Amino acid sequence: MVGAVSALRTPPPPGAAPRTARWVATAAPAEAERAQATEAAETERPWVTLVWNDPVNLMSYVTYVFQSYFGYSRAEAEKLMQDVHGKGRAVVSTGSLEEMERDVEAMHGFGLWATFSHDS
Amino acid sequence: MARRFRRTRRGITAGFEPQEAELVAGLLEDVAGLLAGPAGATGGPSPVEDDAGEEDQLAALARQLGGEPVAAPEDPALARLLPPASRDDDEAAAEFRRFTQEGLADRKRALLLSTAATLRRPGPLLLTDDEARGWATALTDLRLVLAQRLGLQTDDDAALVSLRAAEADEDDPASWTASIYDFLTWLQEGLADVLLRGLPRGGGPPLR
Repeated sequence: MVGAVSALRTPPPPGAAPRTARWVATAAPAEAERAQATEAAETERPWVTLVWNDPVNLMSYVTYVFQSYFGYSRAEAEKLMQDVHGKGRAVVSTGSLEEMERDVEAMHGFGLWATFSHDS
Repeated sequence: MARRFRRTRRGITAGFEPQEAELVAGLLEDVAGLLAGPAGATGGPSPVEDDAGEEDQLAALARQLGGEPVAAPEDPALARLLPPASRDDDEAAAEFRRFTQEGLADRKRALLLSTAATLRRPGPLLLTDDEARGWATALTDLRLVLAQRLGLQTDDDAALVSLRAAEADEDDPASWTASIYDFLTWLQEGLADVLLRGLPRGGGPPLR
């Protein structure tokens, strides 16, 4: 995650727009990540939504998403954000699978990476 | 030079120079174009129109109900915009994709295009609260794509990108992509601050 950004910055170079368009269209080499398939056990314990750290999302934006979407207080949202940043991930909600799928979809909509899981 | 996002009585503003507005609008539209490809909104509307016709919507529904698998996007930048919903259950992740990927791609595309449209309005940029919230998410999606193109994978990489941006080497495409990424990060930081200040510090009604 990215912390507070300096108020000073350099403007983008002139004429950058046409050159950058090619960059948007051309993929960088990808690194494949293979998930292990496990047996899904049918139990009654609640599901959780995990949000994972990434190097792009701003701390301020993540705090904003947690506060506005889940209704957490500013302090709670900041604590969760710090957990994501420091520990690599945090449980942001718990409930039924259906509820967690809805939360994961919402997080993806905001540009965060979230997964649902039966374990935290 | 662009002015940081701030709230005024008339709305949320940021002073963009004309070439900055053009640059950002173009980039938002480029990412919208990526999402219109086969991995995103399959058979969705062309980049010109942003309302899916009724026939497209019925076709999408038929695909979902028909149990056709939806593949994860091959483009790694798109894959980050539409990531897996489970890290330990491939089947659950595939199921989630089948039901949500197209809708998610469509909504992201629509948001990117409407955000670009605010920049193409005559006069200085003036946003409603809804538009400002949309901007924050659109900027995130744009930065995610640029970061992938820059090979940005860790928090340390992010620091290196800032250094590269400071070099501002006009002959190196990665250098000006890095400086644009830096600019967008600065822009989003200002906007996130404005949005956070607008929320009550105690818990509020959730959106979920």
